[in-house]
Amino acid sequence: MHIPDGYLSPQTCAVMGAVMLPVWAAAAKKVNNVQKTKYAPLMAIGAAFTFVIMMFNIPVPDGTTAHAVGGGLLAIVLGPWAACISITIALAVQALLFGDGGILAFGANTFNMALLLPFSAYYTYRLIAGNSEAASSRRWLGGLAGGYIGVNLAALAAAVEFGLQPVLFHAADGAALYCPYPLSMAVPAMALAHLSIAGPVEGVITALAIRYLQERNAGILSVEASSSPLEGHSYKKLMRGLGMLILLSPLGLLAKGTAWGEWAAGEIEAKMGFIPGGMSSLAERWQAPLPDYGLPGFEHNLLQSSTVYIVSAIIGLGIIFAITYIFSLVQKKTTPDKT
Amino acid sequence: MSTDLPEWLLARQEPFQHGDGIAGGKSIRRGFVEKSVDSMSLVFRESFFAERLASRPGLLQGIDPRVKVLTTILLIIVAGLARHPTTLLALNLWILWVAKVSRVPLPMYLKRVWLAAPLFTGIIVFPSIFNVVYPGDPLLILINFSRHFRLGPWTVPETLAVTYQGVWGALVLILRVGASVSLAVLLALTTRWQVLLKALNMVFVPQVFIVMLEMSCRYIYLFLQTTSEMFVARRSRTVSRTSTQEQRCFVSGSIGALWNKAYILSGEIHAAMVSRGYTGTPKTLVSFQISRLDWLWSLFVLAVSLFFLGGDRIVAW
Repeated sequence: MHIPDGYLSPQTCAVMGAVMLPVWAAAAKKVNNVQKTKYAPLMAIGAAFTFVIMMFNIPVPDGTTAHAVGGGLLAIVLGPWAACISITIALAVQALLFGDGGILAFGANTFNMALLLPFSAYYTYRLIAGNSEAASSRRWLGGLAGGYIGVNLAALAAAVEFGLQPVLFHAADGAALYCPYPLSMAVPAMALAHLSIAGPVEGVITALAIRYLQERNAGILSVEASSSPLEGHSYKKLMRGLGMLILLSPLGLLAKGTAWGEWAAGEIEAKMGFIPGGMSSLAERWQAPLPDYGLPGFEHNLLQSSTVYIVSAIIGLGIIFAITYIFSLVQKKTTPDKT
Repeated sequence: MSTDLPEWLLARQEPFQHGDGIAGGKSIRRGFVEKSVDSMSLVFRESFFAERLASRPGLLQGIDPRVKVLTTILLIIVAGLARHPTTLLALNLWILWVAKVSRVPLPMYLKRVWLAAPLFTGIIVFPSIFNVVYPGDPLLILINFSRHFRLGPWTVPETLAVTYQGVWGALVLILRVGASVSLAVLLALTTRWQVLLKALNMVFVPQVFIVMLEMSCRYIYLFLQTTSEMFVARRSRTVSRTSTQEQRCFVSGSIGALWNKAYILSGEIHAAMVSRGYTGTPKTLVSFQISRLDWLWSLFVLAVSLFFLGGDRIVAW
């Protein structure tokens, strides 16, 4: 479910990142208020735990293995806000140090796996477990449902992010620029894999881990309940703000047109009713030495002008490669050779 | 290398390769324990490797980590915005050149970047080159059915063809994923990880997150070792085949046990931090120095980005 860079457009990534910023800020504040100085070590350990859980190979009935996320379990034992921070850190380590999951797609990945997954898993668990005893079977049943629903919601979100790409971004001739599958294909494909394998794996693993904890160390299951960071006034405000953002985000996705500030003189005229004087005089004065990468007197026919493009591109590339090499030579001089 | 060691001790041996799955005369198949232990040891191998590579002299190794983080993000955005396969191909070649002058061993680098990520992307994107999945102008007609027919909710077109748009889109996606992955891998390979995490401060990540990142990195190693030991201990005591259900119980038991340990450990770490004067606001020693070379490199990368994006806009329209 880790979306690598390249599948989502930078615009989508920016929107997802913008949605996650207030979530992180709120989560940091909530958990800090409850855990005080315990906050940093607990979250860091939670992140390390999640990272290691993601490496586990879980045996599935057909004899092969699958991976679990472990986010549902973390949300159940630590609460959803704390789980959000821990999973975010684990995903950051994976993206930065192991190249697993994109750097630009970090906002989208955390939206799916650090926000939707723990929150939906936690509330499903709460709904089923209620105020039952720590040893009650409602606890692990809640874990089973929570893990299953959490992973499927996260996968659905990923599928929607994929599926929006061909609708919003494609070349003039219809070729896809990012993920090529529309919603009608992305959603069923992801749903099939997650409803049938990844979801059950996550649910069963969460349930079995809760049963293990019930038998060996039931106290750990009530850690979250005794220090629930969910009460408080700012909670409602945050939810309202989040709701607004979620409602507004499709606008950002759907917005089309020229990039802000990159208008040509004609577009400026259409927008403002006139061309600013300085701009028109600059536009006239500024004649690039190679206008549109073409040589003067060379743009007579398509073949000639495309040859000029190719030659300019190759020269440009050559210069870039050479400068890169010069940098490495300078670098070698300034740093003493240790090998 | 001449040593007095006996031959069998020098021979390379994969753990658990013998005996696994032999019972019942079936072919050898690696179990979930072996796979887990393998993927865990891979983390150690990669981090040692990156540490060694990052201390070699080379182009990227000498650049200030903060500059490197920012320029990497810029270049990934460029790869994200580029729409023409030629641009992406040129960008990929340049990244390869940067890797070469940074003394990254190319066979390993190529295997890591161009075998894993684009292969995976290729499999995902493969169906979209056919007109049944993604409509477009036919490039190569495979089967001519000579008439439309319906298959449940789908209308199958007259011909089954590879489309121009499909191939184009697939090519762009594979090249773009390749470029993005190679940039991220290069950043991780040429920077010491502790330094890399500290450098995130530059891209507006709050200090407390960076401290947590560093702490969690340290304890990832501890937990990986702990779980590897749990798994190896279990594996060495298993003599017969185990049912899938039993295996799942063992895995979830390990997860539960690991959480027990982790939770106790976090309490101990907290106590140790508080007794050393921790009040809730972390303080770190950061001493980065941006040299003139770093400024030049940033400007150069900016110019390269403009070159690629400008070129892309010209060839794409």
